Amino acid sequence: MIRWGVVVVVVTACVGYLVYSASGGSSEYYLTVSELRAQQPATGDVRVAGVVQDDIQRSAGGLHVRFTEKDSTAAVVVDYTGTLPDIFRPGITVVAEGRLGADGVFHARAVLAKCPSRFSTTPYTQ
Amino acid sequence: MIEAFAGSGALLAGLVLAGFSAMLSFWAGWSENRVMIQVGRRAFYAAAAMILAASALLEAALLTHDFSLAYVTEHSDLSTPMPLVAAAFYGGQEGSLLYWALILGVLGSASLVASSALGVRLAAYAAGIMASILSFFLVVLVLVASPFDLLQITPPDGLGLNPVLRDGGMLIHPPFVLAGFASFAIPFSFAAAALLAGRSDAAWIAHTRRFALVAWGLQSTGLVLGMWWAYHVLGWGGYWGWDPVENVAFMPWLATTAYLHSAQVQERRGRLRGWNFGLVILAFLLVVFGTFIVRSGIVPSVHSFAVSAIGPWFLGFLGACLVFSVGLLALRSSGLKSGGEAAPAVSREGAFALQNLLLIGVIAVVLWGTMLPLVSGLLGQERVVGPTYYERATGPLFAAILALMAAGPLVPWRHAGAPLWRSLRWPAAAFALLLAVLVAAGMRSLPLLLGIPLGFAVASTVVYEFVRAAGRWRLAGGGWSRAVVMLARRRRRYGAYLAHLGLAVVVIGLAASHFWQQEKDVTLQPGQQVSVAGYTLTYSGLENRQLADHTELVAAMRLGDQTLEPARATYAGLGGQSLTHVAISTSATADVYVVLAGTNGDGSASFRVFINPLVSWIWAGGAIIIIGVLLGNAGAPRAAIQPVVSRVPRPVGAS
Repeated sequence: MIRWGVVVVVVTACVGYLVYSASGGSSEYYLTVSELRAQQPATGDVRVAGVVQDDIQRSAGGLHVRFTEKDSTAAVVVDYTGTLPDIFRPGITVVAEGRLGADGVFHARAVLAKCPSRFSTTPYTQ
Repeated sequence: MIEAFAGSGALLAGLVLAGFSAMLSFWAGWSENRVMIQVGRRAFYAAAAMILAASALLEAALLTHDFSLAYVTEHSDLSTPMPLVAAAFYGGQEGSLLYWALILGVLGSASLVASSALGVRLAAYAAGIMASILSFFLVVLVLVASPFDLLQITPPDGLGLNPVLRDGGMLIHPPFVLAGFASFAIPFSFAAAALLAGRSDAAWIAHTRRFALVAWGLQSTGLVLGMWWAYHVLGWGGYWGWDPVENVAFMPWLATTAYLHSAQVQERRGRLRGWNFGLVILAFLLVVFGTFIVRSGIVPSVHSFAVSAIGPWFLGFLGACLVFSVGLLALRSSGLKSGGEAAPAVSREGAFALQNLLLIGVIAVVLWGTMLPLVSGLLGQERVVGPTYYERATGPLFAAILALMAAGPLVPWRHAGAPLWRSLRWPAAAFALLLAVLVAAGMRSLPLLLGIPLGFAVASTVVYEFVRAAGRWRLAGGGWSRAVVMLARRRRRYGAYLAHLGLAVVVIGLAASHFWQQEKDVTLQPGQQVSVAGYTLTYSGLENRQLADHTELVAAMRLGDQTLEPARATYAGLGGQSLTHVAISTSATADVYVVLAGTNGDGSASFRVFINPLVSWIWAGGAIIIIGVLLGNAGAPRAAIQPVVSRVPRPVGAS
């Protein structure tokens, strides 16, 4: 029985270490645009949620895009290269993942839309 | 209109019957009143029949486009193809809860019919617990989220189904995953009933295991179909994003996987009794927890669910289940001491115990990642973790589980001797061979160098077991036909091995498509080519197509003698909502996956091209797992499990 106690302790310690080491490197702050503006330039990547404004500029056949993301009090320009979610358009809420550059532009690695819900059609009627 | 009144009435009658069944079953079980136990059970069947009637009425209202019902208006319209209108039954919040109650009622009734061997008290308590759970769902359906609410003015047409959901995947993924979720309640009911009745012997295990396997099979199917659907529809080239919605479907599956293995330790050796109860209860609690966080929207997810009033109800239900389960386990903990001597570490039961610990470890990692936004939000600034966290933290645990899968089936019960090390030579050889091949091919990524060889090692163990068994029976006389008959007779065991083989195939597919994926963004003029990973695609031009409920802008791409047609669909009826249609060319070795990113005025178009190696192995492996579950257990005559008898005579007086 003592031996099994040791196994349990070892496995628990391993899981604890894995959680600690993995979350240390890759956890990101989840912010609103105003919180991003209020913050000092962060070291790691962050996720910023906000509403897409109607100033979307596309280039490179739609693969490169620049738009303003806004919440009730603050706005930030987002620059992104890649494919966008299908429902991307002015008025929807998106979550941009990336970091705020020295140029004041948010350089996104990924742009996620609040996905159309399988439990509601309201995102479409907006 | 008439369906709405009849449907509300049926739900209300179902609630009364389920509540009656719950109270009567508990009382009759406690007093061992056989007549009243029968009455309580029949009340449960009647409640299930009422839910079936309500479901039929909702389906009828959908199929006849009765837009006087708010649910029909919100989830279908005249332009939606009929199969998808039928699927709207479980496509919305209220309907999915009704579907859940339906599965619980039907599977619960089946489990009660089959429970005669369990003793009156245990069966009665199980009926009482199931009826209580059913009552909760019916209360929510009657009071908070009724699918039969009427609109004051009947609109001429509905709002329609979201274009993303206008897909064949809608017909197959949600029913399985929801049925899987609902069916975890049945093993839970029997486990809790066994605890209430004070019976921790093997009788409940055999019964519970069967329904746990049903739940596991449904959930496995739901998870694979969900991955398949996401891959074919969403256009990001992947199939699993570690989103909270995916995580909460994955965790009960993990807990039940652990239970299906540890149950064998109790069947064969009479050990791990308390642990088995804990796992069955954990799986159900994870289901309720998952339903709560998914449907209340308290954790940020790319799947945003409608904010609804059912969140607090599920939180209350979760609290009640938690208090009930923990209280029950604490109350009965003294009776759960296992008989028999402790297992040596290197033995089949030792392998199962270690596998269980590792699976619980994976659940802990996933649960922590899912809960982090909630926990960190309460303590300060909200933090989230992405796929990197999950991959780094679960990767080593999955590698250890795979190594156990390769070795475990070859380790004998009770203790390991010399034959063990000899039989391990096959998986070890498969591992070494694949490792050598990959290193020689220039691979240096550690996850890849572990994942693929471990997958092959697991597969070689399964093949070795099949060949060894078939050879033994063939030699015992009767030739190959006898061997096949013997395999069929022991299908529980060999079905499980088949599931192992399926999982090995899935793992190889996951590792290859994840680590060898290549992608390229490109803008092409008609006639221009692009080469990715040796595949050459030629863009030939754009075409507009008018379809029934949408228009499509199709870009034709030639790949060898095939034409791929990635497209963008626009649904005018839904405010110009557009949708990407991915074009995929599948082969056994790799998928060519093309997304139309955008078009320019001059006829050029931009594409994102992915090469995804061995993705089809994931779907094939998933199918093998399901075949293993079906062959191994569906309608199987219950093979009597022989407990392993201790070879050492016990001292007189020892129990």
